[in-house]
Amino acid sequence: MSDFFLELAANKNARKVVTTLGLPLPMPTRLSRADGAWEDRPLADRAVVVSSPEGSAIHAILARTLTGAGADPWLAASAVSEGFRAAGEAWGRPTRLAEDAAPERPWALVFDATTITHPDQLRGLYDFFAPRIKALSRSGRVVVIGRAPEDAADAAAAAAQRALEGFVKSVGREVGRQGATANVLLLEDGAEERLEAVLRFVLSVRSAYVSGQPLRVSKRCKAAPPRWTRTLEGRVALVTGAARGIGEAIATCLAREGAKVVVLDRPDDAALGAEVAQRVGGVFLGVDVTDPAAPETVSTFLQERFGRVDVIVHNAGITRDRTLAKLSPEAWDLTLDVNTSAVLRLHEALLPLVPKDGRIVCLSSIAGLSGNVGQTNYAASKAAIVGFVQSAGPRLARKGIALNAIAPGFIETRLTDAIPVATREVARRLCNLGQGGLPVDIAEVVTFFASPGAAAMSGQVLRVCGGSYVGA
Amino acid sequence: MGRAVIVAGVRTPFVRAFEQYTRIDTIALGTAAVKGLLERTGLPWHEVDSVVWGGVILPSGAPNVGREIVIDVGLPREIEAMTVTRACASGLQAITLAAAAIERGECDVVIAGGSDSTSNAELKMPQSLVHKVAPVALNRKSTAADWFGVARKLSIRKDLLPQQPKIAERSTGQVMGEAAEEMARRNGISREEQDAFAVRSHHRAAAAMREGRFDAEVIAVHPERGEPVFADTMVRGDTSVEKLAKLKPAFAKDGTVTAGSSSALTDGGAAVLLMSEEKAKALGLTPLAAFRSWNYSGVDPADQLLMGPALAMPRALERAGMQLSDIDLIDLHEAFAAQVLAVLKMLGSTSFAAARLGRSTAVGEVDPARLNVSGGSIALGHPFGATGARMVTTMAYELHRRGKGTALLGICAAGGLGAAAVLEAV
Repeated sequence: MSDFFLELAANKNARKVVTTLGLPLPMPTRLSRADGAWEDRPLADRAVVVSSPEGSAIHAILARTLTGAGADPWLAASAVSEGFRAAGEAWGRPTRLAEDAAPERPWALVFDATTITHPDQLRGLYDFFAPRIKALSRSGRVVVIGRAPEDAADAAAAAAQRALEGFVKSVGREVGRQGATANVLLLEDGAEERLEAVLRFVLSVRSAYVSGQPLRVSKRCKAAPPRWTRTLEGRVALVTGAARGIGEAIATCLAREGAKVVVLDRPDDAALGAEVAQRVGGVFLGVDVTDPAAPETVSTFLQERFGRVDVIVHNAGITRDRTLAKLSPEAWDLTLDVNTSAVLRLHEALLPLVPKDGRIVCLSSIAGLSGNVGQTNYAASKAAIVGFVQSAGPRLARKGIALNAIAPGFIETRLTDAIPVATREVARRLCNLGQGGLPVDIAEVVTFFASPGAAAMSGQVLRVCGGSYVGA
Repeated sequence: MGRAVIVAGVRTPFVRAFEQYTRIDTIALGTAAVKGLLERTGLPWHEVDSVVWGGVILPSGAPNVGREIVIDVGLPREIEAMTVTRACASGLQAITLAAAAIERGECDVVIAGGSDSTSNAELKMPQSLVHKVAPVALNRKSTAADWFGVARKLSIRKDLLPQQPKIAERSTGQVMGEAAEEMARRNGISREEQDAFAVRSHHRAAAAMREGRFDAEVIAVHPERGEPVFADTMVRGDTSVEKLAKLKPAFAKDGTVTAGSSSALTDGGAAVLLMSEEKAKALGLTPLAAFRSWNYSGVDPADQLLMGPALAMPRALERAGMQLSDIDLIDLHEAFAAQVLAVLKMLGSTSFAAARLGRSTAVGEVDPARLNVSGGSIALGHPFGATGARMVTTMAYELHRRGKGTALLGICAAGGLGAAAVLEAV
């Protein structure tokens, strides 16, 4: 699973040789990642340059989020608003004017575009980013905050807001070589208070492999008061396919935040699964999700053992790749059964056990969004998940349950390791960041979706693909 | 149960590390303070139920300093003793533990205090040396060949050079002075403000000494070699803003914190005598003051390391059912001028109160005339474990002198801890 070019680029001398000679070799930047549980101050001492115009409704929230998360805020607009001053004072992070001096390598550039109602005002984007983008730190963050285009009062406003997405996707492509990401948060009307949790996450190192994505911040789901550390204390989490790979990483991350994790995998993998369960202080449950009795078994187990399940992660999945003409009916059936039907069956059976602030996360795939040669079955099964989440998400949101899906791109796992070298090498590079993601990158996003702050999102499919060129 | 009252407090003069007290370790400093306390109060020795001691740099050979003090003073050995550590709040911690024990009815008379000798901090050998040598040393069957094998594996640089002790946070690696530097920057505290505060600390301490306000609490210490010490040696009554302005920043090249606006490494000890009110009456001793409340709080060391008092002080006030404006005297430990000024700024901030304490109004502005009326750690010095006991002692005498009123104490401590207490005159 080692990435030769990532190692090469990490070597200072090699990097110098390659860049001086102008060799056409990929030089991806090693991404900054977290090495432990969520912190109170994920942005401790990181410089963040903010542009938030007078009259914006999120001024105070931006200020509170940034200073509360420990960032050093630099304000681009010349008028320091009261909101920023007060929050800075409370957290000992006095706001400085980016006009007077500038941080050398800002960790993040945050642009508040919520007041933009006409394409003419988009010039503000250029004016803010163009002079600053080169200074952005390695592994840094670009975040634009806009409004959901459907909420726009007129077509011009919708056009202007939609422009943000195109802008951010392109910025993501440009800064990806330095390991930096660019994303846009789309605020629905009245969801301002929900912004903090999403912004904290996107600005933190935990969103390392999320780039070029729109994240909608909605108020549909009832919100619990925010808590930033040990967010899953006292919660019971079920992770399917958790014996290895991404599932194992998810189990680890959820447990790290305090969840009691039920590690579910096939009985054949009992040894591996039990080991994971022991490591994360959880329990192993040996069940084959395709078994018709599985929903009943899992439901009974959770009911008897815990009386409920707060977080469900439908991670178990398989591939049976063949071009359509050569694909066997068995391969078709099995793939759809594991990846889709089993998820639906389990969902039905477990829903009564999910409390009002429950969280459900499904694993889709970018193949399901864009299609792939030899993956008709897999893409169909993963696209089905998108349909499921988009339909059930909003309905569950009314009950306070957030249901979201993650569509991973190229992640370094046993599955991708089996891909022939040449194909794998190309696939890795086909994204903004020029490298494959790690299982922990997916797990961090799952953990975010499992947290109280995920009340801001439901029914969404978030691509965690490093800004993949595929199906973008 | 009756309340616990403070009837006396005594301390050694505070002396810069590696000067007069170099050969007097923390146990001996504590012993001197406790002996002084017993002599000055004339307390019958058998009345003492317990000794509670605070210390930060504990001697590894005898970490229960309190117990060693009982033995070295010559107190009856039936008197039990313990030693607590809460970094720079250790002295106050020892005293509030004693008050709690008396108020719970566990004891009638307790000597509590603290001491520290930076001069006797131990040099630590690298643990890798222990790991390499111990298996051979502890094995009775080890041969010369085994020893030779170990010796060959030892690296002079990694295994044999002792590590220098450092006042750095274990979790963040930040040195105290750097934390003060960061707090100055974050809260907009200028070099001039810090220097002015430091000068005031020296001037007030000098005035207190001149007017004999420390006479009741300071005892003489007689080192085996050299002259006896009768008074604090670090107070500079003649210092001025101009003199301090000449000092270079101590912790950052373009910083604002200097040696002049920091508390120095100090040796010293302080002891306080507490007992139940009835016992004091029975023994014919005059109570000076009693605790109304206390509070210990924690913040993330990665946040602003020394801001703890800004949380602990309002919480202690709340427990006492008081406002900052009700308080007559405030004694805030001066680790650094920057830290004191930052805490004062926080107390005066409405935004801080809202975000950190969940209150709609600021805790309040501190009147400089009521703050550290007899100077503080910058002028007097800061023997870590003794400082809390010194503050309680000075405030107790000051309240008694005034015959009425209340005092609020605040101490910042390593690990992001804050301590506070409200004292009232009895």
